[in-house]
Amino acid sequence: MSTFIIDAVGALSTAGTLFIVSAGLTLVFGAMRLINIAHGSFYMYGAFLVTTIGAASAGLRFWLAVVAGCLAVGLIGTAVEVGVMRRIYNSEHLTQLIATFGLFLIFADLALKFWGNSSRTVTAPAAVDGRLSLGGATFPEYDLVIIGFAAVVGVSLWALLQRSAFGWRIQAAVEDPEALQASGVNLRLLRTGVFALGAVLAGLAGAIVTPQVAVAPGMDSAIIVSAFIVAIIGGLGSVAGAALGALIIGTAETIGTVVAPSWASTFIYLAMIIVLVLRPAGLLGIPERAR
Amino acid sequence: MKPARIVAVAALAAAVGTGSAACSSSSGSAAPGSGGGGTVTIGESTTLSGSIAELGQSGLQGVQLAADDLNAHGGLLGHKVTVVSADDAATPATGAANVRSMILNDHVVAVFGPVSSAVAAAEEPVAAEYQVPIFFHTSNDISLLGKGFTQYAFQVVPNTVMESRAAADYLAAQSGGKQITVATFAPAYSFGYDTVSGFLQALKDLHVSYKLVAQQFPPLEATSISTYLSRIVTAHPDYLFNAQFGGDLVTFTKQAAGYGLFTKTKVIAMYDSPVLSALGSSAPAGAIGFDRAPFWAMPGLSSFSSQFHAKYGAWPSEWAVLGYTAVQTWAYGVEKAHSFTGSSVSAALPGATVPTIRGDITIRACDHQAEIPEYVGTVASSADSTYGMTLWNPSVFTAPFSTIDYSCAQMQALRG
Repeated sequence: MSTFIIDAVGALSTAGTLFIVSAGLTLVFGAMRLINIAHGSFYMYGAFLVTTIGAASAGLRFWLAVVAGCLAVGLIGTAVEVGVMRRIYNSEHLTQLIATFGLFLIFADLALKFWGNSSRTVTAPAAVDGRLSLGGATFPEYDLVIIGFAAVVGVSLWALLQRSAFGWRIQAAVEDPEALQASGVNLRLLRTGVFALGAVLAGLAGAIVTPQVAVAPGMDSAIIVSAFIVAIIGGLGSVAGAALGALIIGTAETIGTVVAPSWASTFIYLAMIIVLVLRPAGLLGIPERAR
Repeated sequence: MKPARIVAVAALAAAVGTGSAACSSSSGSAAPGSGGGGTVTIGESTTLSGSIAELGQSGLQGVQLAADDLNAHGGLLGHKVTVVSADDAATPATGAANVRSMILNDHVVAVFGPVSSAVAAAEEPVAAEYQVPIFFHTSNDISLLGKGFTQYAFQVVPNTVMESRAAADYLAAQSGGKQITVATFAPAYSFGYDTVSGFLQALKDLHVSYKLVAQQFPPLEATSISTYLSRIVTAHPDYLFNAQFGGDLVTFTKQAAGYGLFTKTKVIAMYDSPVLSALGSSAPAGAIGFDRAPFWAMPGLSSFSSQFHAKYGAWPSEWAVLGYTAVQTWAYGVEKAHSFTGSSVSAALPGATVPTIRGDITIRACDHQAEIPEYVGTVASSADSTYGMTLWNPSVFTAPFSTIDYSCAQMQALRG
């Protein structure tokens, strides 16, 4: 039983981080059909900003740093959307990939200039920095924080997209942007808002993992492939799919560590291949031609 | 674009982006090479961007400082030494291209670096093709001087066999002949698999009575390793040998502490000064660390350490110490050969005893491996007042070269 609890918490914690990152990625794709490699940069900047703002302090300042870091990344995202993205919405995906990869490299270079190449760490607030025992299992309290954040993000996004005018406008912007614009909605502003929200989610994921990781150059590239795999398993454009994809990845990796430890990390690719063979658009995705 | 194609492009982008963010060439001071104006140029091709840039940048600092010191003492054979550097992006093809470019365009007379052994393996034949000596001061795969040996390659860093054997030696002494349970944790690529395999083989060779209870291989640079850690935690090993390094080891330590792993299991890993500095108050007191050149445990390095600190505002990592040592080794070869010619320098070094900042080191004639030890110690419980960071307890175990490296016959066998 204790083994199951430890495995379950570990898998959910992994899935939680992946979900928050990939939710932003898939949200932007769903609303604007934009593939954004620089999403990994937003994740890394969220983490670096927390190390700068929060420094080594482990109290309330950490949470303030998380909020400030997310907002700062949102501002960066806004600038990127206004300066670059709105010029390539109608371009082919390959053009978008190349343009956002260019941004990815620029952001990586700037990060090296600002924060250097040494690893940085942050201590979690004392209230969530301990260990929790449950059913004979001991696991980090902070894992529950990450799982909690993921749940809040998931419910909030569902409410935003399904129960608010903002969400309806996003859907309308995909299906009939001209009609939406004719009805008086500022399409440019809407797209800027969605892109900024995607950046905030990436920044949030980067910010909340800081107490558990080495914050260092390379975080951007390490996360972006995993985020794409999650988004594609779930179906690009589907936030619910991202949640499902993250759970599948967390579970697949856990099964891998049990069945074939030397090959555990390849289980996520195996999961992706199986999904792509059975449902090329992802589990909850809709093929582009069918939209 | 189909989903599979998107992932492929994203993966490619990420792979390139891992190290190529600053894929430009830079130099301490640009120089035309060995021919012009009393200057001679050496090249450092290493990883200067991405997740392992810390190792490369630190090594480059050591190389640059060594060149500066040579110049401060009149240069080498009357020539001023300049350094050109280039980022290999942790990519073998880029590293090989860098070395070729340095030799053909910058006319370097010696090459230093890189971080990754895979990159080193790609650079080694290029250096040999142009008969330019290459000094590996960070990459340390045993195969570089085994299967891949060339007469122009030299290794001034403990190799993968030495490192895992030193850790095994220490563990053998700690276990005191009792039956112990062991788990391993290593990055999922050739270095990780080879190091773990070497460690387990060394335990067998030392007749340590152990039971292997878990093995995990998380991906390099993974930010969430909970799924892998949980398997280790539930196996309750007495000892965990971890072959991770740098940021990955920092991440492991932060997350493993959350499971209480350090209270029940003795962790053995590369707890060097950069990792301990990054961990700060989270450094795992009582864990066993190994280090290729711990500046604080090597009395001969005190002057160098102070000089390095004065110049860079930080204490030297082992990567800086080894980079400096590599340049000293090359410079000794130049002086002994009284020539910058690659073949002459390469012929002068095998069997030579080279005076360096870390003391005299001998370059073993049969494989060009520097006969240097590996250091093992226990992470202290509080910060060192002199250096302002947590280091090891004072009693450091020095694993002698003669007991931890393969013999010449074994190296010969590796070459097939």
